[in-house]
Amino acid sequence: MASPRPAAPLRLLTAVPICDGHDSAVTTINLELARHGLEVIYLGYHQAASAIVRAAIQEDAHAVGLSSYNGGHLVFFKEVVDQLRARGSGDIPVFGGGGGTITPADERVMKRQGTDKIYFAGTPLDAMMAEIKARYARDPKPNPKFTGDRALARAISLAEAAGRRPGARNPRPAARPRRPGRGFVIGVGGPGGAGKSTLIDELTSRFLRARPAGRIALLANDPSHPASGGAILGDRVSAIYAQDDRVFFRSLATRGSLTGLSAAAPAAIDILRDSGEFDLILVESVGVGQESDPFNVFHGTRLVDAVLFVLPPHYGGRIQLQKIALLNGADFVALNKCDHPMAHTAKAEIQARLDQNHRGQVLHATTAARHFDPGVDALFAALARQAGLEPAPGGEPACQLRVAD
Amino acid sequence: MSQLGKIADSIDAYNRHVAAEVARARTDARFAAELRARWAEARAAVEWTASPTGTPLPRLALPDTDEPGAIAQFLLGQGLPGQFPYATAAYREMYLDKESGAGEEPMRLFAGLGLAEDTNARFKYLNRHQKSLRLSTAFDGPTLYGLDSDHEGLLGKVGEGGVAIDTVEDMLRLYDGFDLTRKDASVSMTMNAPAPVILAMFIAAAKRRFGAGCVPNLRGTIQADMLKEVQAQNEVIFPVDASLRFLCDMIEWCVGHMPRWYPVSISGYHIAEAGATPVQQAAFTLSNGFTYAGLLRERGADVNKFGPRLSFFLDCGLDVEYLVLGRVCRRIWAVGMRDVFGADAKAQILKLHTQTSGRSLIAAEFQNNLTRTAVELMLAYMNYTNSCHSNSADEPFTTPTEKYALLASHGQSILLEESGVFKHTMNMFGGAPGLLALERQVEKAVLDVFREMDTLGGVIAAMEQRYQRSKIQEAGHAYEKQVYANQRPIIGLNKYISHEPIPQVPLARTSPRKQRLQVERLRAFKKKHARQAPAALRRLENVARARGNVFAELVHTVEVCSLGQITACLAGVVGKFRPMV
Repeated sequence: MASPRPAAPLRLLTAVPICDGHDSAVTTINLELARHGLEVIYLGYHQAASAIVRAAIQEDAHAVGLSSYNGGHLVFFKEVVDQLRARGSGDIPVFGGGGGTITPADERVMKRQGTDKIYFAGTPLDAMMAEIKARYARDPKPNPKFTGDRALARAISLAEAAGRRPGARNPRPAARPRRPGRGFVIGVGGPGGAGKSTLIDELTSRFLRARPAGRIALLANDPSHPASGGAILGDRVSAIYAQDDRVFFRSLATRGSLTGLSAAAPAAIDILRDSGEFDLILVESVGVGQESDPFNVFHGTRLVDAVLFVLPPHYGGRIQLQKIALLNGADFVALNKCDHPMAHTAKAEIQARLDQNHRGQVLHATTAARHFDPGVDALFAALARQAGLEPAPGGEPACQLRVAD
Repeated sequence: MSQLGKIADSIDAYNRHVAAEVARARTDARFAAELRARWAEARAAVEWTASPTGTPLPRLALPDTDEPGAIAQFLLGQGLPGQFPYATAAYREMYLDKESGAGEEPMRLFAGLGLAEDTNARFKYLNRHQKSLRLSTAFDGPTLYGLDSDHEGLLGKVGEGGVAIDTVEDMLRLYDGFDLTRKDASVSMTMNAPAPVILAMFIAAAKRRFGAGCVPNLRGTIQADMLKEVQAQNEVIFPVDASLRFLCDMIEWCVGHMPRWYPVSISGYHIAEAGATPVQQAAFTLSNGFTYAGLLRERGADVNKFGPRLSFFLDCGLDVEYLVLGRVCRRIWAVGMRDVFGADAKAQILKLHTQTSGRSLIAAEFQNNLTRTAVELMLAYMNYTNSCHSNSADEPFTTPTEKYALLASHGQSILLEESGVFKHTMNMFGGAPGLLALERQVEKAVLDVFREMDTLGGVIAAMEQRYQRSKIQEAGHAYEKQVYANQRPIIGLNKYISHEPIPQVPLARTSPRKQRLQVERLRAFKKKHARQAPAALRRLENVARARGNVFAELVHTVEVCSLGQITACLAGVVGKFRPMV
């Protein structure tokens, strides 16, 4: 079926409602959506209506898809629709399915309450995909009525759409006065599988405790599938501390950009920094290779204020370390997964590699998969110092978090 | 090599041993004579009965042979019922229509809806015709995730899909009127992440009703299988290591205090429902079981004490592999437990609960689900499952209504009591060429999965690399594709479609009024115990921090604290689970 291709791929947010762990249907749908060239931001299972609405707004999703198998859908779908409306984002349609648990009679009630569409068991996947594309495709347009996170999110969407047309100017939100000492940007890079996302989430938890009134923004870049152009943007699933209105989380698919960041990332960074909303902005690149320079540390205009490079213990030995350019350019280096048996050797090898740079780079040993890890505490303290984030009144000093177990 | 590689090797070694013994039986006259003598003895011990139409039948069917190799092949490769390696059956006699020795009634009827008193009424309805007391309990979403019914954003979920339990007082209402200390009583609870809290409430409620001395008499099963939660079912509250620690605390306490209780039901059901193939279901379930055995052994527990308290739970769908899945699992478990863990006979037996496949049921022309379930029941009983639950035909769209729940239970009675398939003779099917061929293939495929996980560092390491989740999702995706591409016929969905509209069936749903009532009860409980709760939680926190046995403390905490208060307290100590895609 040929339909006019929109300027930018559709971005859908999918999730499973609270107290429901049935994710087999939604994972199949996610794969199919990506295979059909859509970008799927997957929030995960057991998600509260408020979390779904927050994510839909921050991601500026074209639509929200809910997969519900545990009952309670009459109340839950309505809650999502109502909260979207209450937060000025009633334009985001909500659709969903639940195999046989959502009956045709339920569907009628749900439609009256504002749900856009219910897919029943037996709907052929290809037909569903074609309909979703036709139903929800639209180019993002500036909307002066949007405020707060939705305005930021739309500005980023416009930058993403513009990124597809070379030469197009990045749209900016209306300039706000820039507050000094805010909006420090840290680029986080490292090979795939280093645990960057988990480390960022643990840093987020430290930030939220250290700055009880502050806001943090996270930009997560993930690769698009080269053939379909679609993507499954799944970083939100593991970002348990991003479930907070003080966290602005935006997923970006690379859409063919091979720099390690979406082509819209520079504009998105500007938008977030210029908003004056955030004390700290973390930008996660896709997994980087030996010569990658996602943050323009070596050439071009530096995109970030500091770079954190994350390595796992299994980087392939001393010789491989020599070849990683970003180890020279990074301001902070973390060896993550330090509970791994290879970590001891890795620590010594990486420190030796850093010593060659004569930049006084300190190696941080972290185990982000473990909560309350003292290594992450120390890393956050160092980042916070560099970012000029003094512990705010009432905030816990970053390096004295309670350590359990 | 992780433990899993050793287990795979032990099965191969056992198979070589059987082959060598078969060869020896054919060449060594003394050994052949020994086998013939054993065989004659086994045959002589078989009693005879007759069918209602007068056909004489042996109580146990044995291969019709006197050839020593064939005898060795059966005795060592399959085993007499109740004998190593238990492929034939876990016990000597099962399902037989005998006054004595017929053993356990296998039927289990899962129920859970609304508030505790609603589920209690359903239990009373379902147990009207049961000789023994069988209370199999489904909990609602908030309870499964360890949340109190007054938690923000839950309305609509309370009492939906299972019963809402917040406090020990709800637990009192749930089993009210049933004598839980009866010898033939069995209570099962489909409860995982908060299992230690819920079991502690169960114990506390039983003590209030039957006195403190009742605890050793309580009999039943709590699912509590956290590995499969992380791999497939997604009801996880705490990080994996803490979840396993709380579970092992509970198992150890139960082994010491509740000799008739099964504190974990190692479950493939949810793995299969999430998309796994039958082979994956068997491989992941067994490997999870061996992992628990390894963890408990590391903590110093005696395999011969905890081994007999482990039980298993498998899905039974319509794929051909289900003809032998239970048999293959029993055999692998027995050999692995004996040869790698040094377990004695009682600890080698895999005790199996089976449930017919929920995923195989569809909403379109849903009466066909009665037939699907009936076929699955047949397969489950052909595997000599120790107990079985049959799904209701209306499950694709609702918590089972009374009518279809009863039909599902009658399905089992028709198979076991009305039909003569199982009630006269043990081992009616074992040794059939098709079954043997399947058993060999399925066992080999399971061991291949073991070895793949072994190269990843074992079950927990594989889980951290999301191996099981990827495999399950891949298989689930392939299944959907087959259905949509008409390569997997599903009658009424992609074949022989009649386009009849789905009939209006009365749905079992919990009214907002009841949901509010549950919240009011919970608030009253919290108010009543507002003074004692903080101290109780502090004690629990201290035990958890000091890495003491958390379960031993929970038994006291639940007297004055709600489920949500307790999980929040423990999450404060160990943190929250970070989900995987």
